[in-house]
Amino acid sequence: MMAGAEKFVEADNAEAIITRIEHKSRKIESLLKQNKPVEALKTALEGSPPMTRDERCKSANWIVVHRALMAIKDVEGMFSSLDPEYYDILMKYLYRGLSTGDRPTCDQCLRIHEKLTERAGLGCILRSLADTVNTV
Amino acid sequence: MANTLRLYLTCIRNTLEAAMCLQNFPCQEVERHNKPEVELKTSPELLLNPVLICRNEAEKCLIETSINSLRISLKVKQADELENILTKKFLRFLSMRAEAFQVLRRKPVQGYDISFLITNYHCEEMQKQKLIDFIVQFMEDIDKEISELKMSVNTRGRLVATEFLKQFV
Repeated sequence: MMAGAEKFVEADNAEAIITRIEHKSRKIESLLKQNKPVEALKTALEGSPPMTRDERCKSANWIVVHRALMAIKDVEGMFSSLDPEYYDILMKYLYRGLSTGDRPTCDQCLRIHEKLTERAGLGCILRSLADTVNTV
Repeated sequence: MANTLRLYLTCIRNTLEAAMCLQNFPCQEVERHNKPEVELKTSPELLLNPVLICRNEAEKCLIETSINSLRISLKVKQADELENILTKKFLRFLSMRAEAFQVLRRKPVQGYDISFLITNYHCEEMQKQKLIDFIVQFMEDIDKEISELKMSVNTRGRLVATEFLKQFV
């Protein structure tokens, strides 16, 4: 019944979430212009709607995260400034990127995946596999 | 090119290492039965998120895990018609002999070229690391085999054509 109540709230909230994501994407564009890809990625990962079932919100957030991910050139440098709390959500988005099949996205995601596994370990991968409730 | 292959295989290896955590789980619906849950997909609480790892538009790998079994489906790169036919025939040849491989699935999953099914019994009898090494080695060797087959077909075709057309010279 908790999930039912949440679903009901979702329908109204979806519009609010999408507006929030658009607002976020504008902030990310400005951060990328200032040559700060890591901050852009942090902003993109932060507001990730965790309990949303709405596909549109997830897709909208994915587009934003994708933009930030593709702008990253220095993967090692990124990890030195990214907090560990973002590792799990980043791993989920990496798998979403790998499932697209688009060559540049997959190249970038594979590069980041290798480094992230070195940093965060296999537990991170397993958490992204096992979490069937909060998917991206 | 070689670098993306290395990254692709590393990613698959890491994902398999994390996903291959299998334990015995008797069937919940039918007593005294023990079935690989990933094949039946009857109870959602026993399944983990399936993961699709694409290297590019042509090559991909689908890894589906459950509590007692793991299914890996591969789509091999096929550049032209000839490679298409060779891959299909070669992998069909292997799949027919799935008994000998133990972890191979007789029919590939829809949309893929070849599938592996690893159960908890395999993990008990064989070492997990060696199983993962086998899968990754298989992926590397498949590409080499198909190129070799293609080259031998082309060479033979050329030889036969030369011999045959000699009589018209």
